[in-house]
Amino acid sequence: MLSLWLRRLSTDRIARSRNSSAPLVVTGRRGNAEIFVAVDDAAERLGLSPGIALAQARAMHPGIDTMPEDAEADATLLESVADWCLRYTPLVACDAPDGLLLDISGCAHLYGGERELVADLSGRLENAGFGYSLAVAGTIGAAWAAAHYGKPASHACGEERAILESLPLSALRLQTVTVAGLARVGLKQIGDIIDLPRAPLTARFGSDVLRQLDRALGHEHEPLNPRLPVAPYVAEQRFAEPIAREEDVLAITRRLARRLQFALERRGDGARRIELALFRTDGVVRRIATGTSRPLRDPDDIRELFVERLAALADAFDPGFGFDMARLSVVVAEPCPPEQIGIGGSEDASKLCRFVDRLSARLGPRRVHRLVAQDSHIPELAEAVLPAQAVNGDAGWAGFRQYRKETKLPPRPLRLLARPELIEAVAEVPDGPPLRFRWRRALHEVIAAEGPERIEGAWWSEHGGPARDYFRVEDKSGLRFWLFRSGLYRDLAQGAGAPTWFLHGTFA
Amino acid sequence: MDEQLRQRLLTLQKIPGMVGRPGLLPLGIPAIDKVLGGGLTRGALHEIAAAGEIHLPAAAGFALGLAVSAPLPRLFWITEDMGLTESGAPHGAGIDAFGFAPERLVTVSTAHRRDLLWAMEEALRCRAVGAVIGEMRAGEIGTVAVRRLSLAAAESGTLALLLRATPPHDASTAATRWIVGTASSILERGQSEREMRSRFTAHLVRNRHGPAGSWILEWSDNDERLILATHAQPMAAPAFNRSHRQVA
Repeated sequence: MLSLWLRRLSTDRIARSRNSSAPLVVTGRRGNAEIFVAVDDAAERLGLSPGIALAQARAMHPGIDTMPEDAEADATLLESVADWCLRYTPLVACDAPDGLLLDISGCAHLYGGERELVADLSGRLENAGFGYSLAVAGTIGAAWAAAHYGKPASHACGEERAILESLPLSALRLQTVTVAGLARVGLKQIGDIIDLPRAPLTARFGSDVLRQLDRALGHEHEPLNPRLPVAPYVAEQRFAEPIAREEDVLAITRRLARRLQFALERRGDGARRIELALFRTDGVVRRIATGTSRPLRDPDDIRELFVERLAALADAFDPGFGFDMARLSVVVAEPCPPEQIGIGGSEDASKLCRFVDRLSARLGPRRVHRLVAQDSHIPELAEAVLPAQAVNGDAGWAGFRQYRKETKLPPRPLRLLARPELIEAVAEVPDGPPLRFRWRRALHEVIAAEGPERIEGAWWSEHGGPARDYFRVEDKSGLRFWLFRSGLYRDLAQGAGAPTWFLHGTFA
Repeated sequence: MDEQLRQRLLTLQKIPGMVGRPGLLPLGIPAIDKVLGGGLTRGALHEIAAAGEIHLPAAAGFALGLAVSAPLPRLFWITEDMGLTESGAPHGAGIDAFGFAPERLVTVSTAHRRDLLWAMEEALRCRAVGAVIGEMRAGEIGTVAVRRLSLAAAESGTLALLLRATPPHDASTAATRWIVGTASSILERGQSEREMRSRFTAHLVRNRHGPAGSWILEWSDNDERLILATHAQPMAAPAFNRSHRQVA
């Protein structure tokens, strides 16, 4: 377990885009006072530290630079560092507000050992201009404590107890109140409480103290909550020379996909969602994801999808000085039966799937749809528009046809407006069809009408809305519309508002 | 030899549908089929313009009526976002009533005209698609784009239908161009209790294989195809029918 603490996250962030070397502090409002929330190294040398009031510090050191805090930008920066740390291990968790936890077990040998991995990480962080402190230990708690309070870059695998003993109690990530309470009875270091009788300690300070201690010592398991789900299939490639050309990226995608193909075949899986992560030399990570409409294995098909994704990204795909690592992961896998080739019909279907995938990759999965019949009698809910990649089979229309035949459902419009549009309508009799109506500023004289078809609101729901009377009307010029009156006149007596008219769709 | 050369020349010219009539989709209406020379050419682009924006549903219905008989089941209906908000989205239940099973339909919405044309062209090249309807709002479309679509359609033999919300003013190289509006389903007085039908006026204003013409058509639920409206008066189309210019 590796705990990384970016001590100067806020000031490092600002320092990246500033020229002066004057001491920098970040201020924020706490209660009614403007106080320091972060200081950089130069400011710390002046004796400034977080918590000091701005006015007081200004009097002491008029030359300091102050910036307002921006928690959101800090969080974004931390996340991008977390993304970048994915090059070491897929299990990266954010330890807000300024730390990261990396589970490097089983990954360190790729760098030649834990020490080499740490050296690589430290070198890159230094180049990027981050103040940091990190530690490796067997448990999250011990690594965190050592990173925040211990010697820099310490290794404490198997000797958690020795490291922890000399650290202050706040290294156990306890609440400040608890730490203060313990200090009042003379317990200041972790070593003070390790061998104390457990029952009185719990009785006085709560179970939190011992739980955190047990977790740090490894007596109790502490789960890591990774920022991103771990992909079941991953293939990656590092480059001696950064690559920047699109063709190279696609070629490497194909090669990685080929490697994944074997793994997928062995377990009988296919990819439903694939992510390509490209690690730029300057630390930016590009993640490009694409979905498929059926489990996919073929490297050429996978490459095709990324051709479209890159084409859609166009300029947003900014290789900068090049990528020094690429990782292809299958984020979602599904069982995929072995392929049969050449049996009639299936070839067209697979061609179609491939085309739908390409369209979705280029335009976005939410732009390629199929219509799915839903089990609802309310017209706007009667069908759902779902991404074509997610829909299989007849999408419920066989059931709909059966229902239409059985109930002699009145005709439905060819096009349905996204939401019914309010119209001004005049009806001859209160419950009858309109004589004329005005829609989008044009007046339509109704010469024929069919209906009403009464569709009750969803009575079981609080927001079901009033009943609707639908009419199919034709105007003088032959245009056919689907109108409804929302609300019934009989309900007026019960205090309902006057019925209003809406236009919901148009017929051919 | 002579025949061989002619064949070769024709393949070079790649005029869709001119030779051998590779795929014709008869509408089943003798009057129209005769004018079209046997039916609608499959591997070619056909332009269907609504007589005005408000007539778009009628034009869409007419396009669906043509696409129903495509040999492969799958239909791609590619629209622009603006078109969906203005005229409403294709409604499955209504499409089903038009004899077209909604499960055969894939709808694509695009943000730009560029994407629309790209998606149309790709769909035409896909060979697993029976027909493609590309629906565009008012505005011009370049001759290059039309040509590309025609070629893509000719290559795969897919029916390409370009649906336009207003009658265009540009010259087009499409195989046929139609201007479609709604027609009153009550043609005779005193028949207001009659059932409402989907009825259109269809003007064929450009036809590569023959003369132009005008008809009143309606969708027949029984036959599941377009038929000539039984009580329609024959509409004589003048040789240069530019009636849409005033409508627009």
